[in-house]
Amino acid sequence: MIGRIWAMAVNTAREAVRNKLLYTLLFFALIMMLFGTVLSALSYVDRERMVQDFAFSSIRLFSVAIAVFVGVGLIHKEVERRTVYTILSKPLSRAEFLIGKYTGLVLIIWLQVAIMALFFAGVSLLLGAPLGFAHLAALALTAVELALVVALATLFSSFTTPLLSSFFSCGLWIAGHLTRDLRDHGASSASALVREGTTWMHRILPDLESFNLSLEAAHQLPVAASDVWFPALYGAGYVAAVLAFAVMIFERRDFR
Amino acid sequence: MSDRAEIVRVDDLVKDVRPGFGLRVKRILEGISFRVREREIFGFIGPNGAGKTTTLKVLMGLIRATSGRASILGHDVSEISFRRQIGFLPEQPYFYDYLTGREILRFYSKLSGVRREHRERRVTELLELVGLTAAGNTRLRGYSKGMLQRIGVAQALVHDPQVVFLDEPMSGLDPVGRKEVRDIILRLRDEGKTIFMNTHILSDVEMVCDRVAIIVNGRIRYEGAIDEFLDAGEPEADLVFANLPAETAVQLEESFGARLRGHGDRIELRIAEKDSSAALRLALDAGAVVISATPHRVSLESIFLSAVNEAGAEGGAR
Repeated sequence: MIGRIWAMAVNTAREAVRNKLLYTLLFFALIMMLFGTVLSALSYVDRERMVQDFAFSSIRLFSVAIAVFVGVGLIHKEVERRTVYTILSKPLSRAEFLIGKYTGLVLIIWLQVAIMALFFAGVSLLLGAPLGFAHLAALALTAVELALVVALATLFSSFTTPLLSSFFSCGLWIAGHLTRDLRDHGASSASALVREGTTWMHRILPDLESFNLSLEAAHQLPVAASDVWFPALYGAGYVAAVLAFAVMIFERRDFR
Repeated sequence: MSDRAEIVRVDDLVKDVRPGFGLRVKRILEGISFRVREREIFGFIGPNGAGKTTTLKVLMGLIRATSGRASILGHDVSEISFRRQIGFLPEQPYFYDYLTGREILRFYSKLSGVRREHRERRVTELLELVGLTAAGNTRLRGYSKGMLQRIGVAQALVHDPQVVFLDEPMSGLDPVGRKEVRDIILRLRDEGKTIFMNTHILSDVEMVCDRVAIIVNGRIRYEGAIDEFLDAGEPEADLVFANLPAETAVQLEESFGARLRGHGDRIELRIAEKDSSAALRLALDAGAVVISATPHRVSLESIFLSAVNEAGAEGGAR
């Protein structure tokens, strides 16, 4: 089973590597980081923090863009182009196919994050900006968040078009970053319906802010191990649930 | 033939679909049943939209039947593990065009569980078999339609399956390519494999298939050995004469029940094979010249067309 999933994953990664869109987005992410360095030169205070803030935002935004743009076509394209016919006629279950595709894309996105992180480290060192555990923790949780975004894009890609999948994925990403604030605001509401509604929304939708340690990283604030492990476990659990749901939908599909 | 093991067994297969979002249900397969036996080339033929590809997709587990049962090598088609023993070439196959011919075969061999130590040898053998050795390191986006069809045949065979399913295997191929694919199919049969072939190119079916089933409008109209089809009824002969006197032609018609057709000064007649010697003697005695005398075989095309017309008449009556 692992061999077949890995074969699918490697092939998906190879497809991504041969996709020009990825290089374009990576190139722009690196340009944005450089632009942050130029912008920080206009500031008299906290230049290093500004560079790092800018770089972190670039890494997150561009990685999410790659995750969504490539993820939404991940399964849909296979069905549309009918490559799925020959693949599923082999001794490979639909679950193995979907998990293999997902794994391949996550690996490529993590590789891109690693490249951007190296660039970030290089720029920080050049400017004499501090680098520490908080930066590593923030990047690790960004990687978990991206794995979750790819899982959501894969789920939508398993039953709808890339355009709709993009809307749903981007919408959930934005909602996922607001759900915690929404719950906190809802808690102070006089209406029980609003309080319950916002609490349940926070429980059901992905709490993507739990993966955000960029503030701690930029300000060199202390980060406890549990600040990384708990969100990582939460992310892994959420990914597993989303993929299980995607497999359930994909298993029921007819490829007419 | 009938004592051979059943490799594919389909019983009362029904497939309903809902076109669009409405409640209306369209029946694509109307309870079809057939058998494919070991080491035979089975031709599944029918006009476009008859349900051939739908049947094949049910067999490949790509779509689920509404009711009925389909099994391959004794396994229900929803199972996964037995697929190690089957190969499939879809109609107008599309592959990852960013991979080379060699890479795509390597990929499929991994999915099919070909052992690592055998992979490269197997890939090389298959590229040679389908005549793509020189194009093995070219990306598939540079392949012609015919080359893609050949790489499709190669991927279906990469794990040396016991049963091979081919959906329109000759489509998109030039005459040379078609002959090559036909030769591969015959070679596979000689190697002891069972082949299920969807097609509407009847000449190919006549050349390679042992048994056929004709499907029209989701129903099997005929199923049987191809020789049974072609040899059905009393054997007949086609005689062509020049200078056949009119009174002799009438005599042939009345005495032997010959069916006559005229082309200029030539007269063509179809007659029971047992009467052909007497008819030839009569015509020669009357001064006619024999242009040709050939045994007449019922063509698959005529059977196919009568099945389609029959289905059309039933449809009209309903």
